[in-house]
Amino acid sequence: MSSNRWLATGNYFTSYREEQRIFFTSLDRAVMGFFLLCLFVWPIFIDVDNKYMLVIDNILVAVIAVMGLNLVTGFAGLISIGHAAFVGIGAYTIASFSRVLGESHVLLTHAWPVMIIISGMVGAVFGAIVGLPALRLKHLYLAIATLSFQMIFQWTINFMDFFNQGQTISVGRVAWLTGTVSRDQHYIFWYYAILVFIVLTGFSVRNLLRTRYGRCLVAVRDNDRAADAMGMHPGFTKVYAFALAGFLAGVAGALNAYIYRGVGVESFTLHASITYLAMAIVGGLGTLHGSFWGPAAIKVLDLQVEKLAEWSATFLPANMNLATALKPLSFGLVIVLFLMFEPRGIANWWRIFRSYVKLWPFRY
Amino acid sequence: MKKNRKIFLTMLFSAVFLVALSAPAFAGNVYKMGLSLAITGPTSDAGNPYAKGVEDYFRLVNETKILGDDTIECTIRDDQYNNDVTKRNYEDFMSQGIVFYLNYSTGSTMALKKDFEEEKMPVIPASFHAGNLIDSNYIFLPIASYSAQAIGLAEYIVKNNKKGVPKVALFIHPSAFGRGPVEDVQKAVAAGLKMEIIEVVEHGKDLDNTAMLKRLMSKGVQYVISQTVQSPVATMLQDAGRLGLVATSFGEPGKITFVGCHYTGGNDLTALAGASAENFYWTTSYIVTNEPSAGATAQLALAKRYGRDDKAANSHNYANGMMVAQVATEVVRRAKAKGKPVTKETLYQELLAMNGNNSFSPGTTVGPVTYSATDKAGVDTLQLYVAKGGVFKSIGKPFIPEYTSKIK
Repeated sequence: MSSNRWLATGNYFTSYREEQRIFFTSLDRAVMGFFLLCLFVWPIFIDVDNKYMLVIDNILVAVIAVMGLNLVTGFAGLISIGHAAFVGIGAYTIASFSRVLGESHVLLTHAWPVMIIISGMVGAVFGAIVGLPALRLKHLYLAIATLSFQMIFQWTINFMDFFNQGQTISVGRVAWLTGTVSRDQHYIFWYYAILVFIVLTGFSVRNLLRTRYGRCLVAVRDNDRAADAMGMHPGFTKVYAFALAGFLAGVAGALNAYIYRGVGVESFTLHASITYLAMAIVGGLGTLHGSFWGPAAIKVLDLQVEKLAEWSATFLPANMNLATALKPLSFGLVIVLFLMFEPRGIANWWRIFRSYVKLWPFRY
Repeated sequence: MKKNRKIFLTMLFSAVFLVALSAPAFAGNVYKMGLSLAITGPTSDAGNPYAKGVEDYFRLVNETKILGDDTIECTIRDDQYNNDVTKRNYEDFMSQGIVFYLNYSTGSTMALKKDFEEEKMPVIPASFHAGNLIDSNYIFLPIASYSAQAIGLAEYIVKNNKKGVPKVALFIHPSAFGRGPVEDVQKAVAAGLKMEIIEVVEHGKDLDNTAMLKRLMSKGVQYVISQTVQSPVATMLQDAGRLGLVATSFGEPGKITFVGCHYTGGNDLTALAGASAENFYWTTSYIVTNEPSAGATAQLALAKRYGRDDKAANSHNYANGMMVAQVATEVVRRAKAKGKPVTKETLYQELLAMNGNNSFSPGTTVGPVTYSATDKAGVDTLQLYVAKGGVFKSIGKPFIPEYTSKIK
């Protein structure tokens, strides 16, 4: 270990344990602590409109979903293009309770943290089931299998009366220590709630990657036969990768249901799946913090393109429909540009930045 | 003397300064409203002229001082037919302090229903889905619901079918918007409307409907009632025309007579389907501009005033947007006339009082707008049109479907 606990002047690891630490220096730990503190206290000092709080909440929900996608696609190397369906499973778990018990049943309004966990578990079960084909399928074929799941999910929701044929199923307002969360407090309340889930899931995933199960994911991704020869179980690893991804997606779906106070199938279409994949790519596949960068980048891009489309619609003829094309065009362009010029995503820019400032101000 | 003059000038300038400062207080009130709709993206062919209708009418209100010195500031935002974006836009409008909200799609209206209830926000959507009114107090449909339209068409089929029980297929959009009237038409049949529903077809994004049309023919279907948007109807009509299946007169034996609800017809359909749109029967509560009326003249004048092209000027969706802006303006005018403050509560009360002698005739519709605590559909009357020579021409007088009240 470095003699200086605050600044790294090089790698002084003498054991694997040291190499696997979450924070390499005390400075890292302090910066993370300060960053988390800032995330929790900034809403006290800055007044943000509900419109933007909704955007922020959306980004945070997407962070949890993309963390799951990164586990299965980034770390385990299993392509999933049906991730929105897993998110939808979580949301529709809440919606199912709402249909059966009523939207303002105490389980939904008071035991909401439990409901969110249950939604995650239902997502995990479906993840494991969808992961079963991964035992036999790889690459493009696996992608098609997950796509099939997406289609089956949409079809089921769209045609079953129980799910209101895809129309919105309402979810009641939740209660907290101070009583029912009012409309004014709604988005800020969920900001904190999601933040807690993000911190918990973020540290859980970071810890998972330090365990043999986490290392199995990477080993199976790199070469499953070699991993098998090393005593790992590639089949089990693939299934639990899908199950974990399903769990996180389910949690994200439940949070989405609570934020919007309703569940409709439009939020969980193939387009949403592609968007999650784009977030993972742009953020950086196979990196934990890429799961944070990607959603933020794509959602902000979305917002700006929407403004541009709206502005251009004021002078472009309606039948030209250029404004309609702007969103998918910019979205596709960003993915292609990242794949071409920065396949490691924004996470790599962060890595470069960190390397640059690592030895500051005492460079060689 | 000089000192007095100095005091006088100081007082004069102070008075002028004070008057200048207080001028905005005399400039009239600004009433904020919001509209979120698909100006681009899916269904924007309807949303775009609708937005123009709303925008132009409010500009007219402000420029011609219909509300005196008071003005309406309606922020129009594009949601690209995405419910999540609509929700975000609505939150934005709420932060701005709107007193009236205009929404668009069925999906987003249903999704935001709880918010409208909580906020007690009067809302007029562009969606005529009867489901919008279930468990809702603040949503007001501008015209008769899709269900009423489909039932009205079904009643016309039954009355004018030449022989036996008419065999009908429903051609619907695969969404809440499309499915809305299916159950109500089925209820009307169960309640005694002598018609046989052979099939309910949820269309996809097919570019060819040959197989579907041949299947319907083989099942003996004589009429197809469409509840969707123009483009799939145009595709179906073109295919039917190519196959020689379109009835040249209503109920022609061995052919199919195509009929449709509000969003299936109009100029957009004739532009898309061309000659294949001939003999398409369409119902709506709006007037058409090719038939002379005071409303048509006003619509065309408004479009001309703000430099809109012919397509927008003659669109029934332009009339649709114009009409909801007329209703919103009218409730503001009525609240002001009664000396009430213009708030969402008073506007809601004015909407509820819009019936009997207080009904409102905007001119752009075939009947008056009437609302009450138990009737949240504005214009109850429908007009049937048929496409002849590239334009829609009215058939008979405006009517109110009988079975809508029977199935309640």
